[in-house]
Amino acid sequence: MQTKENKAQWILLLAVFVIATCGLIYELVAGTLASYLLGDSVTQFSTIIGAYLFSMGIGSFLSKYLGGNLLQWFVRIELMVGFIGGFSSPLLFIVFPLANSFQIILYTLVGITGVLVGLEIPLLMRILEHKVEFKELVSRVFTFDYIGALLASLIFPLLLVPQLGLIRTSLFFGILNIGVGWYLLHYFSAELKRAALLKLTAVFLLLIELVAFVFSEKILKYSETMAFNDQIIYAVSSPYQRIVLTRNKRELRLFLNGNLQFSSADEYRYHEALVHPALSSVTKPSNVLVLGGGDGLAVREILKYQTVKNITLVDLDPEMTKLFKSQSVLLKLNKESLLNKKVKIINQDAFIWLRENQQKFDAIIIDFPDPSSFSVGKLYSTLFYQLVRTAIKTEGIIVIQSTSPYVAPKSFWCIDQTLKSVGFFTRPYHNYVPSFGEWGYIIATPAEKEISFHSLPSGLKFLDSATLEQLFIFPEDMRTKAELQLNKLNNQALVHYFEEEWSKYLE
Amino acid sequence: MNRRDFIQYSVAATGISTIVASCKPENKIKGSILGASFSVGHLLRDKQFSSPSSVEVKQVAIIGSGVSGLTAARQLRQQGIEGMVVLELEKRIGGNATNGENLISAYPLGAHYVPIPNNDLKEYLNFLKSANVITAFTKEGLPIYNESFLCFDPEERLYINGKWQEGLIPQYGVPVNDLQEIERFLQQMQEFRLAKGRDGKDAFSIPTNHSSEDPDFIKLDALTMKEWMVHKGFTSEYLHWYVNYCTRDDFGTPYHICSAWAGIHYFAGRKGKAANADYSDVLTWPEGNGFLIRELSKDLHDYIRTETLVTKVVKESDHVIVQYYDVKSKVLREIKAEQCILAIPQFVAVRLLKDNSRIETVKANFQYAPWMVANIVTDEVEERSGQPLSWDNVIYGSESLGYVDATHQLLQQHTVKKNLTYYLPLTKMNPVDERNQAQNKKHEEWVKQIISELKLVHPNIESAVKEINITLWGHAMVQPVPGMIHGNLRKELARSIGNSIHFAHTDISGISIFEEAFYQGLEAAKKVIQYVGQ
Repeated sequence: MQTKENKAQWILLLAVFVIATCGLIYELVAGTLASYLLGDSVTQFSTIIGAYLFSMGIGSFLSKYLGGNLLQWFVRIELMVGFIGGFSSPLLFIVFPLANSFQIILYTLVGITGVLVGLEIPLLMRILEHKVEFKELVSRVFTFDYIGALLASLIFPLLLVPQLGLIRTSLFFGILNIGVGWYLLHYFSAELKRAALLKLTAVFLLLIELVAFVFSEKILKYSETMAFNDQIIYAVSSPYQRIVLTRNKRELRLFLNGNLQFSSADEYRYHEALVHPALSSVTKPSNVLVLGGGDGLAVREILKYQTVKNITLVDLDPEMTKLFKSQSVLLKLNKESLLNKKVKIINQDAFIWLRENQQKFDAIIIDFPDPSSFSVGKLYSTLFYQLVRTAIKTEGIIVIQSTSPYVAPKSFWCIDQTLKSVGFFTRPYHNYVPSFGEWGYIIATPAEKEISFHSLPSGLKFLDSATLEQLFIFPEDMRTKAELQLNKLNNQALVHYFEEEWSKYLE
Repeated sequence: MNRRDFIQYSVAATGISTIVASCKPENKIKGSILGASFSVGHLLRDKQFSSPSSVEVKQVAIIGSGVSGLTAARQLRQQGIEGMVVLELEKRIGGNATNGENLISAYPLGAHYVPIPNNDLKEYLNFLKSANVITAFTKEGLPIYNESFLCFDPEERLYINGKWQEGLIPQYGVPVNDLQEIERFLQQMQEFRLAKGRDGKDAFSIPTNHSSEDPDFIKLDALTMKEWMVHKGFTSEYLHWYVNYCTRDDFGTPYHICSAWAGIHYFAGRKGKAANADYSDVLTWPEGNGFLIRELSKDLHDYIRTETLVTKVVKESDHVIVQYYDVKSKVLREIKAEQCILAIPQFVAVRLLKDNSRIETVKANFQYAPWMVANIVTDEVEERSGQPLSWDNVIYGSESLGYVDATHQLLQQHTVKKNLTYYLPLTKMNPVDERNQAQNKKHEEWVKQIISELKLVHPNIESAVKEINITLWGHAMVQPVPGMIHGNLRKELARSIGNSIHFAHTDISGISIFEEAFYQGLEAAKKVIQYVGQ
């Protein structure tokens, strides 16, 4: 009997050890996630730890109200902590896009986990109070508690996050937690009421967590936030899109609906290639139209031409242009281009604006997002390009960002053919942008003309006249032999090509 | 909708809906019931009118400003006839093709598209050219359609077996045997589409009156579509659903009531060729066929009088007396016209003519399907997996015909809110009972019915919806039951009275489609021109 008691005591103490590890892990997961998703790690960690410890305090306080079969309570709490704590990380990842109430959900989860973890030690001490001498009990319980904490704090950054990732880490410890509960159930089933029911619950929860653990990749896929490896410094949802800015030591990145728009490290390669081949071949450009490009980076390049008097920028999303007119890091990046007096910003749908437009421009820079949805696909259609034609002077020149001819040759050449079908003469070209890979653009002119590049503005980092010539050479792997459809509003052929080609590439 | 949005909306939806559900008893959706003016219309049946307070003399009086009436008026105007008046009961012209409008977009209240026209319909093609629906003709004479009006992709989707599939013909999760049978059915329809009768005419033509009189094809008008399918060994449940969907969609008539000839005509009547479209493509506008109404009525506004209830049309020696109740000024007026076109359904026409035997004949033989159309204003809704929101969205097995997104055909990328038009032909019971039931139904009841159906595909629809307006069409369209199209009654009723009263309406052509209405109007106008001034 004595040995049985003794063994029971050690099993419970071992449980303390595991529980302590789990408890701290949940706290670390919440803290990491908060600083990861919300930025400002000092504040996030500090408030999470504070809230967690405070909740543990509440738990400890509440423990005195628990009576009856304490072991039963303890097992129940184990199962609950295992379930809630285990799922805290996947849940937080999934609800993050719901930015407004994210903090509420985060702190609610932290609070609940904290209260439950706070209940554990006092309960355990009460369970053991008649079995072990008080000073021994306090000494042992806290020893195991703190060793567990040490273990957690060491393996979390060194082993778990790099190896398992946040979602699997929290699920793994959830499983461990429930495992402890289940073992205790098994061992003490004689002392427990309705043990079978509890066991069934435990097995059920264990199964759910195992499934989630196995399918965590899928959960991850559903949560775009994982795609951002860096710290998010700004996130806002406009009626049109989700704008997210991330930063690491090296670069600043802009994501629209989870798609990378630029990295500050190499965006000059993209924007120089987008603007200069076209603009440098126009004699004294004066009026320039930019469609899309609310980041002001193409405008920054256009402003390098002294002859340019007016730039009209039409971007759908006021949130976007507002952001690039006000955030200091971004103003530094676009050289305050959107604040320049020459620039007129119109927040309107480009299709609708063009239909009403009466002006004719010397150059039109089209910098729309990739045609990844039916709504954006409209802006690459025959009807749209017919409207663009009405807005360009006979001697003018147009350039269109046209996705990657390497990854998506059908899409790229479909844009080329669509432009030709409405009467444009085209000059496709491409360059290498490390963040994007091989990227394509198409110059279109209403009249057939030999494009001669006048002098490029000084101070460019990527383009010079020798490089310029090379851009127009296409190797075989950026071409397609497929017979391509024109992109029209009633077939959206481009969106279908784009989806087919990029999904294959990203598999 | 992309993945992130999906997550956001679904989380928002489940979160918000539980919160909303727990603290509010029920989300009351605003809106009202509009309808063809029953109350004014019923004056005709119930009220005694005294003598008219004014008399005018006109060359032509056209009663009804639906597609038939407007086409007739347009044709007469083009022929230089100025002494013309068009009388319309409703506030808005257009009949079944009328539309509404709000801050988001215009939207249809009834008919919402036309298929690519058959190439032999010269007058119709010319009209479309004048409306810039056809921008030009190729050297070979093929029309080039305006790309803003060809239905944008993605066009149609069907929610079936837990997923939105592309197109309306059941495919996703459909067993191979059924797919083969559907294929066989479509193949047979294709044969009918190309078939010609022994008289050299197309077996199935538009207008129906141009179709072959070959008994081999006419005999199809003696049985129902369902009987024909069973007879031909088509048993697939999926195929039966689809065909029934089609006959309800075009004719407001379930396939077990609809004539097989009419049912097949749905698949076989369209043969249009174009430079940039296919016979199966459709032309559409945010406001639906309201666009065509606007084009038809372009130069006619001086002739149209809305809110006028015609009470009597009688032939008197060498002219036609038309009396109407002016709803706005509440007086009875009279027009003495040389010629009159009744561009209204027969069940109304017979009351104006006060011809009792005709009233009985129409009552006994013409069935009109009632429809409910709901215009739903909504925020973006949560989506199920599969094809994204399309122009036409249909739920397999549901009572309604699904909904059409009016904002789909807008050029802009994105509208935050949507105008969805939901179509429900009331065909469970006979038309009279359906009509009575519909007129007694409250707004909340319609809303509940619509929401509970759409919840299946948009779980958060109840919280996303801002407004639902109901339009009831008591007599939306005549039902092409067996014997209707190739029987004699329709032709007898279409016959002019004394060379001065002519009829123009789709109910005397048997099927309610735009081209039929257009040619009804055109033919009546031709007769008027023949007799006017004699």
